[in-house]
Amino acid sequence: MTTITSVRSAVTAQGLTKVYGTGDAAVHALRGIDVGFATEAFTAIMGPSGSGKSTLMHCLAGLDSVTDGHVSIGDIEITRLNDKRLTLLRRERVGFIFQAFNLLPTLTAEQNILLPLQIAGRQADQALFDRVIDTVGLRDRLRHKPSQLSGGQQQRVAVARALISKPQVIFADEPTGNLDSRSGAEVLAFLRTSVRELGQTIVMVTHDPVAASYADRVVFLRDGLLVREIEQPTPQTVLDTLVALEA
Amino acid sequence: MFRTTIMGLLAHRLRLVLTSLAIILGVGFIAGTFVLTDTIDAGFSQSFTAAADKIDVAVRSKDDPLPPSLLAKIGSVAGVKDAQPVVSGEAPLIGKDGKTVGELVTAGVSFPSYRLDVTSGKAPASDGEALVDTSTARTQGFRIGDTIGVLDQKNVRHDFRLVGTFDVGVDQSLAARGAVAYTPATAMRMTGATGYAEIDVTTAGPSRESLRTAVAAVAGSGAKVQTGEEVASDLAASNGASTEYLKVGLLMFGFIALLVAGLVIYNTFGILVAQRMRELALLRCIGATRRQVFGSIMLESAIVGLVSSILGLAAGLGMGWLAVFLLGTYQPDVEVPTGTVTLSPQTIVIGLATGLIMTVVAALLPARQATKVAPVAALRTQTEEHTFRAGVVRIVFAVLFGLAAAGLTYMGVTAKPDETALMTVMAGGVLAFFTVLILGPVVVTPLSGLAGWLPGRLFGVPGRLATENSRRNPKRSATTTIALTIGVTLMTFMAVLTATMRATADQELDSQFPADYRVAAQTGDIPHAVAEALRGHSELATVAEFREVDGKLDDEDYPIGTVTSSVLETAVRPKATSGSADGFKPGTVMIADYVAKQLKIKVGDDVRVGTAKNATPLRVVAILDSQSLLPSITVPEQFFDERFGKTDDNQILITAADGADLDKARAIVDNATQPYPAVKVASSTEIRGQFDEAINGILSVVTGLLGLAIVISLLGIANTLSLSVHERTRESALLRALGLKRGQLRGMLTVEALILGLVGALVGTVLGIVYGWAATTTISESVSFRLPVGQVALFIAASGLAGVLAAVLPARRAARTSIVGSLASD
Repeated sequence: MTTITSVRSAVTAQGLTKVYGTGDAAVHALRGIDVGFATEAFTAIMGPSGSGKSTLMHCLAGLDSVTDGHVSIGDIEITRLNDKRLTLLRRERVGFIFQAFNLLPTLTAEQNILLPLQIAGRQADQALFDRVIDTVGLRDRLRHKPSQLSGGQQQRVAVARALISKPQVIFADEPTGNLDSRSGAEVLAFLRTSVRELGQTIVMVTHDPVAASYADRVVFLRDGLLVREIEQPTPQTVLDTLVALEA
Repeated sequence: MFRTTIMGLLAHRLRLVLTSLAIILGVGFIAGTFVLTDTIDAGFSQSFTAAADKIDVAVRSKDDPLPPSLLAKIGSVAGVKDAQPVVSGEAPLIGKDGKTVGELVTAGVSFPSYRLDVTSGKAPASDGEALVDTSTARTQGFRIGDTIGVLDQKNVRHDFRLVGTFDVGVDQSLAARGAVAYTPATAMRMTGATGYAEIDVTTAGPSRESLRTAVAAVAGSGAKVQTGEEVASDLAASNGASTEYLKVGLLMFGFIALLVAGLVIYNTFGILVAQRMRELALLRCIGATRRQVFGSIMLESAIVGLVSSILGLAAGLGMGWLAVFLLGTYQPDVEVPTGTVTLSPQTIVIGLATGLIMTVVAALLPARQATKVAPVAALRTQTEEHTFRAGVVRIVFAVLFGLAAAGLTYMGVTAKPDETALMTVMAGGVLAFFTVLILGPVVVTPLSGLAGWLPGRLFGVPGRLATENSRRNPKRSATTTIALTIGVTLMTFMAVLTATMRATADQELDSQFPADYRVAAQTGDIPHAVAEALRGHSELATVAEFREVDGKLDDEDYPIGTVTSSVLETAVRPKATSGSADGFKPGTVMIADYVAKQLKIKVGDDVRVGTAKNATPLRVVAILDSQSLLPSITVPEQFFDERFGKTDDNQILITAADGADLDKARAIVDNATQPYPAVKVASSTEIRGQFDEAINGILSVVTGLLGLAIVISLLGIANTLSLSVHERTRESALLRALGLKRGQLRGMLTVEALILGLVGALVGTVLGIVYGWAATTTISESVSFRLPVGQVALFIAASGLAGVLAAVLPARRAARTSIVGSLASD
């Protein structure tokens, strides 16, 4: 881990604009955002409700089309790709953790974890698998179906699934939104550990200052614009920034 | 509540379209059947009325023909304007190939007639003139001015000049046989009729009623005297009976289709209720009672049922019209008079009632399920997975039904083959179907695993996910597939039955007399000269003559017959149910089992055989199987000749010598029969071909009619899939986010449908084969069971393909949905 690589961006956006609808009904969700997310770093995106943070993440991850601007993951500009190439890109380079409904109910925890690799037709790295499983502490839960797991355990399965394919970037959308504070703290700790120890890059959307404080850097959005960012946040600095933005 | 239901229906009208379609098809088929038969009936009664309109009074024979002298007597009754005789008999018409025309003997009738109309040329005026009916003239290529040959009762050919053609009108028997018309005197002479079948009378003024009384006074007790109206209603009634068969047969398929539609409706409402748990719970939260929730589902089903049934009636009118149109276009030979297509009040009532009742009844259970929703369910976010555990009640019922089915089937299969055995087996089959219905959710999971084994390996992750999905809601999958099972079961059943019947018939023929050619006479017997001409050719190995005359067995009237004695030891191998044909020698007799049963005769008994005046005691050595080719009472040839003389042959069976040139052999047989127009030759291949054709015809009609049930069950698969797709929107979005391509998502749903189709087909073919086999054992002791492997494989493949077709639209919709939108929705 050298200073040079940590400066390089895993994901960048330039002049990113997203407009829903047309004419009078047009909603400007993103109004030209320039942002970069460093590799092997844990970045949080924050902002009040309706600030466009989820939209930003969807556009960055190639889940949603952009109205204008460019998004690149690594050296690939995803805003030029068609659906099929985008799908393949997500398969190879992107991991996801959603707020809820992360797992397929028909598959066991282990099958859910291995699903992205199987879709891509790749073999799991056994050593990595063991390391990830032990990190998230799911060894004795692998044969369980999601309905037999607690909410926190389900989210840990989702984290393991995102880690297993060693993606260039993991996007997490309110990953602790549905969890109690203890489970939430566990999941966030895993995310931070995976950045520190596995060299993972994570971009997380959250509205919770405590969750954001686990990140290395927090970027703030308001009304579709990037308005501020802070490095090495604490819950207090995040909260202060939010309060200042609301004012 | 009513408003809520209506608004709900309008908001979700798309999801009910497929359900409606199932009802529309079912009701449409039933209504269409009524429309078709009503139209034909109406057409017939119109033509009957029109035909009878010309006749004021008809004198019709009861048992014996009316004596010719009666015509003059009736003609002189006061008030009679005209009286015309109706002669009816046989007129074996000789075709251009020198042989008599058709399978059935052509009918002989007379002109002038109030029943028949000359369509071209003129009525016969002299002895040398004749007409043929338009259809026969067309198929045989006869033109006015041609000379036609007709055989008389002694099989002697007479030539006539064709002076016209005529329309047989409403007489179905004439339409089927074809007819030749002469002057009354020639008709009497040619047909050998000793009197008239009917005398048609027109009035000079008196009313029909009074004329009937006057005519009846001279007609005597041997005749039935009717007015024209009575004749028409008689004809219509006898014809109505035949459309009744058509109606009952078609309705049976209609009700099968409706049963399948019922299953589809049941499943759809079940899924809709499951998906609307939160909506229903919300209604309960804001104060709706259980009764109101129940009522709202029932109301919804009633509206859907009513609207679909009305559309079904319209579809039925269309189908009926189409059937009438097709009959008229493609079957011009079948004289089916058709009136205007009508939708009778009876059809409307039956159509609406069946559709409405079926829908409401099918929605009962789902509606009850809806009342069990707890209000608190409105607050839960996560939808529950539908786990299924086989309850004790289900298992108990399944065991009871299964045991009853197995018991009945065993009884039917082991019983002596007769109709009761067949009915027992069929009852067992119905119970077995119910067992499958009850056990469906239990067996569908392992079966899906089986059906999904190959796709899971072929299509990777989407294949495996599809297998999992197909078994995640066993109850839903079971109901979806059982609808398909019904159609496939019946198709397989029919295929097995027909294949076995064909094989058995072939085997019977082969084992008893492996004949290459059969010579038979359309009318009368085969002159001995034919058999003589056949003997002494090295190309022919056996010439077996079969002869039969009317005689007496223990003072009862029975035909007595014999067969060339030399072939009995070599070529003809009769099958005996008791005793043996080996002991057949002078002084003995062989008797068919049905005769033995009637007269309570067994092997070793002495019976008196011969004529009323001269009967000889003979010892019974064998009771013959009823499918035996031998005459019912077979006596040694020498005894037959002594008692009845050298009579002509009924049929001759011929085998070609081993290694003989078959073309030469056929030429010899053709030459021997050439001088006798009524004597026709058929090769065994031709006979089998005709039999096969008949069986294939039946099979394809039945398969076609069952196709409707299949189509409806496909709607069910499409419906279940699209509702599942709707339910799993977020799951699909997640998979897409994780890197599943659109095509793979489509593939996943297609494989799921394929699995559903295959499961339905597997269960159906197993049931169909088992009960096809069971049914064949009740037909005769010695059936050679055949499994039509190709056809069964075709059914399975077609079901799988059909499932894939059913998945096209739901899969497209699932693949098109935006990932972000689906992830956001709850």
